[in-house]
Amino acid sequence: MTHISDILIISLYSFSRNFLGIITRPYETYRRILLKGTLWELFPIGVLLSLYFAVNALVKAPAFRPFVLTRHFIKTSLSVAVTAVLISLLLWGIGRVFGGKGEYKQFFLAWAYTLVPTLCWFFLTSVLYIVIPPPRTTHPAGIAFSLVFLTLSGVFFFWKIILSYLSLRSGLKLDLIRIFGILLVSAPIIGIYSIGMYRLGIFRVPFL
Amino acid sequence: MTDALYERFQKKWDETMELPPQTVGPFTPYYKMVTKRLKVMPIPILLLMSAVLIVILFYILGSGITFLTSVLQRGF
Repeated sequence: MTHISDILIISLYSFSRNFLGIITRPYETYRRILLKGTLWELFPIGVLLSLYFAVNALVKAPAFRPFVLTRHFIKTSLSVAVTAVLISLLLWGIGRVFGGKGEYKQFFLAWAYTLVPTLCWFFLTSVLYIVIPPPRTTHPAGIAFSLVFLTLSGVFFFWKIILSYLSLRSGLKLDLIRIFGILLVSAPIIGIYSIGMYRLGIFRVPFL
Repeated sequence: MTDALYERFQKKWDETMELPPQTVGPFTPYYKMVTKRLKVMPIPILLLMSAVLIVILFYILGSGITFLTSVLQRGF
């Protein structure tokens, strides 16, 4: 019987390999994730997300008190987990209506890897929030910073779009036209959900 | 070709061909041209695309681009 620590080490190795793969060879890596990936790979993603939420709580919580920090941590963690599951379920459900094939389990794993660019952007923004807090001014230095920050944000955004496309393409075995169809149907629902999250003060930018 | 090598090739081929190649009618050659560059190390192309887009945005919004940055910086 395989020991749980062996499984965790293997999943950590697979995650590291796939992490590098989605940077260097995303198409090939997504095929591998869908063919050989296991749900244990969600563990390292979860650990990285938790680490980020801890940093986020320290940066964003209004007071440095255990109760406030814990409440902020739980609120953001739960919101991200629920949002990731709901959006993946929505896309998978609509994908099935559009003739997609494939198990939700594997699609969710593929979708979870789309959180990697989001996570990278989160860390970049957190560090910059501490180093150079907003608001930005219209001073030349503020404009130069904005150009660099937005360019980097754009890279993470396009990277996320590619990974999301690959999740739908490989995870549901759909063609480009059907993927556009899924996005058209799901965009208003995700839009309404994002407005709801904004009103609740959880996310100000719909980045999940 | 040895049997082991052939088997590896066959396995890789099956993995690759599990999905039929994407076609987009008359735009297929352009689609292939774009996706070819995104399949291996896409970050430099994404950086170029993003930089061009942000320069265009800066041309349209001018210094208002700093407002967008402030919103995103507070948005996480």
